Formats: sequence, C-alpha cells, structure tokens
Amino acid sequence: MSLLETIHLKKYFGDTHAVDDVSLVIKEGELVSLVGPNGAGKTSFCNVVSAYYTADSGTILFKGRDVTRDSVTARVKAGIARSFQLVNLFDDLTAFDNVALAIFSREGKTRSMAALARRDSAVTGEADAVLGQFGLAGKRNELARSLAQGERKLLDVALAYALRPKLLFLDEPTSGVSTRDKGQIMDTIAGVVRGEGITAVVVEHDMDVVFTYSDRIVVMHQGAILAKGTPDEIRTNEEVAMTLIGAAGPDAFTQRSDHARG
Amino acid sequence: MTIFIIQILNSLFYAAVLFLIAAGLSLIYGVMRIVNLAHGSLYALGAYVSAWVVGGAVGHAMSGALGLAGALLLLPIGAVVIAAVGALIEPTLLRPLYRRPEEYHLLITFGLLMILEDAMKLLFGGTPLSAGSIMDSMGSIPIGRLLYPTYNLVVVAIGLIAALGLWWFIYRTRFGVILRATSQDRRMAAALGLNVGRVYVQAFAIGCFMAGLGGAVVVPAQAAVLGMGVEALVLAFVVVVIGGLGSLEGALVGALIVSLVRTAGIQFFPEIELAVLYLIATAVLLIRPTGLFGRA
Repeated sequence: MSLLETIHLKKYFGDTHAVDDVSLVIKEGELVSLVGPNGAGKTSFCNVVSAYYTADSGTILFKGRDVTRDSVTARVKAGIARSFQLVNLFDDLTAFDNVALAIFSREGKTRSMAALARRDSAVTGEADAVLGQFGLAGKRNELARSLAQGERKLLDVALAYALRPKLLFLDEPTSGVSTRDKGQIMDTIAGVVRGEGITAVVVEHDMDVVFTYSDRIVVMHQGAILAKGTPDEIRTNEEVAMTLIGAAGPDAFTQRSDHARG
Repeated sequence: MTIFIIQILNSLFYAAVLFLIAAGLSLIYGVMRIVNLAHGSLYALGAYVSAWVVGGAVGHAMSGALGLAGALLLLPIGAVVIAAVGALIEPTLLRPLYRRPEEYHLLITFGLLMILEDAMKLLFGGTPLSAGSIMDSMGSIPIGRLLYPTYNLVVVAIGLIAALGLWWFIYRTRFGVILRATSQDRRMAAALGLNVGRVYVQAFAIGCFMAGLGGAVVVPAQAAVLGMGVEALVLAFVVVVIGGLGSLEGALVGALIVSLVRTAGIQFFPEIELAVLYLIATAVLLIRPTGLFGRA
C-alpha cells in the first residue's frame, strides 16, 4: 500500500530544476534510500514533501490525501517528520529536554504554563525510552551542545522519531561522522525504524551504507529520477554506475562546502 | 554601623525593584529578540494603576489589619493590568515587525514609550500618586538606634521570591522548556509543531507582568511620578548591559551591582553617581561585550 505518492512534482529555482517532474511511490514500511550526485535534488525533494518549499506544480498524496498545500505544522500532525542535513538541535537544552519537547508538541501539551516538565511520568518515561532506543540513555542530562557529532546526529533523528511519524525523512544521517561511527548510527536508525514499522526515506552519499540498509533505492540526477529498484538492480545498472561514479570524485570534495551552506 | 546596614537594606530594596524590571526586559529580549524601549513606561503605568486602585479603594486612612490585607491584595492589580496590556501589544504592534530589521523594533517601541508617557500624563495628571498608606500602616522595625520601614523588607522578599519563581518557571516547567527552545531556534520550534505565536504572547505578557509588578511594589514606598518610567528604563539597561541581555542570572547580579553602586554613590560621590554606573557598563562592554552572564 502506498503511503506517499508524488505526481509530476516540480520545484524550480530560476533555471535550476531542483525537483523536475518527480513521480514516486513510497510504500508503507519500506526503507528507501535517495541517492545521486550533489545538486541532484534529493534534499529539495525532502523539502518539498515536508513543506519547507512549496511545490511549483504537481501533487503530493499522503495516505491518499492531497497535502500539497498543507503547512509544515499540518504535515507534522499528519505524520511526516524529518531530520536535517545540518543537525538541528536545541543546543542549550539537555538531550532529555530536546526529546521531551517533541513529545509535548506531539501531545499538544503546550498550554499549561505551570506544569512541571519532569513530573509528567508518561512523557518522562517515553522520552527516556526514546533516548534508550537511540543509545543515548547515558547522555540524558547533557546539553545537546556538548554531545559528540555522532550522538548529535542520533539525537536529531530521535527528535523527529519522537513525533511518532508515519513517514520519516532523514537527510544524510551519517554525514560528518567517521566511517566507524556510520555503521553504528545506521544500525541504530534501521533497527528503530524497522522495529516500529516506520517508513523512512534516507538521503545518503555512502553507497556501502545505501546497499546495506535499503529495501529500495531511488537514484536522482538533475532533479529527476534516473532509476529506481532494489539494491541488486541498482548495483548492476550501468547508467547509474556511470552517473554515481562520474560524480564520486568531485562529490567527495564538494560535500564539505555543501554542509556549510546547509 | 547602623548606617551601613541601612544602606545595604536600601540597596537591596532598589535591587529587588530593578531586578523585576530588568528581568522582564531580559526575558522579552531572550525569547523574542526585541529590545522593548517602552518597558520602563509599562513599569510606571503599573505603579500608577496600583496606586490609583489602592488609593481609590482604601483612601489614605486605612482601618486596621483588614484594611492593610485588602490593600496588599489590591496592590498586584497594576501588574495584572500591565500583563493584559502586553498581551494586547504583542499581537497587534510587534508581530507584524518580526521579519523586519531591528530598527523597526526600536522605532515602534519608542513610539509606544511616547504614547504611554502622554497617556499617563492625560490619565493621572502631574500630581504624584502614592499608595503610601500601605507603608505607613506596616510600621517600622528598629535597626540599631534607627527605625527602618518594614515594607522595604517585604519588597526585598518579593524580589527574592520573584527571582526564584522565575528561575523555577524557566528551568523546571514544561512551558519553560518550550520557552527556551523557542528562544534558541524559532524555525525549529515551529518544525516540531509548536505554536510559536502563542509562546510569544505568553513571554511578552510575563515580561510586562514583571515590569508592572516592579511598579506595583515600589509605589507604597515612592509615589508614581511622570518620568519615572524613563529613569527606570535607563537603569534597567545598565543592569542588562552589565549582566547580559537575555540572562536571568545576569539581571539578578546586574541589579545588585547597580543598586550597590547607586547607594554608595548617593552617599559618597553624589555628583558622579550615574557617571560611575555608565563607566561600569562601558567597562563591561569593552571587556565582555555580551555581559557577565550573556552568550554571544
């Protein structure tokens, strides 16, 4: 059953075709990787679906309902959440408070001004459980700013996950961390996502990671879909190999500046 | 020695009032990044409203403990009224300007300052308005050979309770977590589905409540007069410059420093009392531009 369907989705920035006529079906419960050289439109596609950009044309169906014109908040409420390429955390809050905040927001527990933050045992229990799932239980009371990069990446995903989305966009969850940490982060994320039956779309550069963890791979190039299929199908697709290998060299160098721009 | 103790108590009294004003200013800046130039005038308006309510209800002849209790209960009305004024100002005057550069914030709050000052002149006239009957009927306690008004000590206690209460509110409540999150990253807070608009109204109203409370507690000791708001604004700015704009601890420490220096100044160097305060503020700006407790 399809959870998300985009039909002829377009987003242009002047002459740049960031998202160019993308028609894509994401099925419930699958982990889809979105790959492609820099500037292929992966992040733009996530931004359009999560309402950070407005689509120029086309339709976004979520659970069969047209959400193309819905606001960010409305789409979060509907069940679309995302993490960011640049880690977005509340640096001056503890890891626990970061997660608790997402839970307050989801539960609509934002009205009562005198309610004690840590006396709500349901929220406290859930926030601790989420931290535990992401291996961050020991960092509960540390400020987000003091966490290591890999931990920040996980906390970022934990925040999006605490909104209990149906569909989770993860924009480069392993960027900026060592190769050794990548596997651990992806193991954790894939474990949680599969365990809870959440549909996930992961933007990723590292093809080892992509081939290891994906159910399906979508290759984008210049805003459009170049190919889609299982890891085995993509691995043997020569056109994809040319595009990705051709871009692999400069890609490795531009990745840093890409992050700086966010 | 007696004089020394009384001077310390006096400076604690000023510190309590200054803290209430500066904490509100700092809270509003911390959450909304708006420097509210009308903050001092809101403090003055709080003083006028409280004095007017208490004066109208019990007059100047208060009868017994019941009259005093009643007057003390009426006193915070000024703070509540100012909070309500704040809840009106934020969505109507400030909200349309958040996306504009800072100059617009300064212009609109400066305009608000002028309107409020004239409104007070119109409403209350040039005659000072006092709730002195409260202070009188609370009597004095002996300090050494001298008598010290009991009410001043009550104000110090209120300042202390307000500081603890605000700290508890910001660091221990659910709303405090939301408030701190919104102040750190408005876009991200909205991305989580938080209602940023509502947080802003609440934060602004609380900040205004603090200013109004400052006015309410000062008016039994000092009559509300025209111009008190601007004077308070200037001192509150010195407080937040020293302590760090947006920091609660900074407002507390800054208020203590400013009132100690002021009290000592009035005693020992009255000619340059304000100049010394500005010098301290300048020194802090040069050495630590974000203030003692401020973050860049």
